[in-house]
Amino acid sequence: MEASALAWLGAGIGAGLAVLGAGVGIGRLAGPAMEGTARQPEAAGDIRTSMIIAAALIEGAAFFGLIICFFLQGKA
Amino acid sequence: MNAMIGHSENGLNGIQRYGLEARMLIERTPRPGALVAIMLVALVVFGGLPVNSVNAASVPPPAGDEEELDAVHHIADGYYLDFSPIPKIELPRIFIIRDESGSLGIEFFRSTTAAIASGRYDVVFEDDHGAEDDHAEDDHAEGAADDHAEDAGDDHAEDAGDDHAEDADDVNAAGAAGDAGDHGESDDDHAEAASGHSSPLDGILVRRSGEVVLDMSISRHLVFVWIVSLLLIWVALWLAGRYRRGVGRESAPQGRLQNTMEALVTYVRDEIARPNIGPKAERYVPFLLTLWFFILFANLIGLLPLSVTSTANITITGVLAIFTFAVVQISGTKDYWMHILWPPGIPWFVKPILVPIEFLGIFIKPFVLAVRLFANMTAGHLVILSLLGLGFTLKSVYGPTGGYIGAGAGVLFALFIYLIEVLVAFLQAYIFVMLSALYIGAAVEEHGHEHDEGHATHDGHALAVLDD
Repeated sequence: MEASALAWLGAGIGAGLAVLGAGVGIGRLAGPAMEGTARQPEAAGDIRTSMIIAAALIEGAAFFGLIICFFLQGKA
Repeated sequence: MNAMIGHSENGLNGIQRYGLEARMLIERTPRPGALVAIMLVALVVFGGLPVNSVNAASVPPPAGDEEELDAVHHIADGYYLDFSPIPKIELPRIFIIRDESGSLGIEFFRSTTAAIASGRYDVVFEDDHGAEDDHAEDDHAEGAADDHAEDAGDDHAEDAGDDHAEDADDVNAAGAAGDAGDHGESDDDHAEAASGHSSPLDGILVRRSGEVVLDMSISRHLVFVWIVSLLLIWVALWLAGRYRRGVGRESAPQGRLQNTMEALVTYVRDEIARPNIGPKAERYVPFLLTLWFFILFANLIGLLPLSVTSTANITITGVLAIFTFAVVQISGTKDYWMHILWPPGIPWFVKPILVPIEFLGIFIKPFVLAVRLFANMTAGHLVILSLLGLGFTLKSVYGPTGGYIGAGAGVLFALFIYLIEVLVAFLQAYIFVMLSALYIGAAVEEHGHEHDEGHATHDGHALAVLDD
């Protein structure tokens, strides 16, 4: 296989894995947050704030992966 | 298999190709009035710049006769502004150079064209392998690619019947085929560069003698940073004038702009700064507000047609993160440094592991801040660009029908992502400011008895909310 094909393949698989990880992370975060909000609607604001912060952190980690994949694709 | 690769290369090779065709699509974009205003600001800003160009006037502006808008313009940085109906505005180039005698100097040109016209710079495109002589290398590359391609074709035809190569000759042939493929591809890119990127604006300037130590040229992201800053200064001064006259202090705020701004300002102060920083929050509110409005305005301006998202640039987000870094370190109390360098209440054998991690954390936190903002703004625009390119991709694979279907679906999806982008523009500004406030709060926190106090107030707050 050509080097560029390998790079594209790697970028695609890598992007998929990064998104998969981020999806699992945010899903595990948002589910309990919703449960918590349903049980205790008064705390909805606080829960939402901390949920957004944690989601941003997870997303940041995923974006590291995506950026590397994007550069890999550009290298090809 | 080979045919498939060929197809995918024709259809799916990154965003450059999308950009090339997409620009034809967006060529006739109508221009909104607000952008004309922004454009005028840019012109005013650049009207006053000093000029040291040799003979810029004698050089015709490149691609002046065919006006296009390239889609990549919205994401990538570059040295021209493209407000489509009017010709491209080239930006000044500033180089700090070391000439052949080894002495440092600074060179200023009004535009990229002027820099090339001075005869001291060569244009190099990223696909090129060498800088010396474009034309000779082009010819060479073409010839080589043609020869190789023929060879490769023959070899493949021979190989087709057999299984995969086992003797050395076939391996060599395969290698040659690979080479030929690579050459052919770069050749394609060249052809594209000749047709689509004919202007030297998309190339890199390399000095003929000596070297460029530092390229301090004005780039379009920087221009949009200035535009955002001017807008912010104007809004802030206007608001300050209103409050000084008593509008909003003695009466309710009047008008849409003042109401919006007051809501945003009080939100940052009451919901971000005070809960996260604590009693010393007032000192940091101006800094947080500056960050908030700069990022918000830059993100939102980047969503307008023909404009550029300056926050989709890692250097600009990096500078914002460095500000946060500096503020956090300067306002760090003794407790803060103590917790990093010698964390209390921890077994001694954990400290050698924990202290380096904590120390690295000082730098990792702002780095992640910068990368998060940059990646979010870049990724959103890339997704829109890819979706707009869907039509062109399908057209090259399935013909015109596929193209129309792909274009329709792509535009709908792109509209959806665009609306999400508006949300993301607010969300990322919020997250950047929120995390900055958290880091500042951790740095200024006094431990000990005040810590308990903080807990008490927090519980009290929760109880009050429950009572409501």
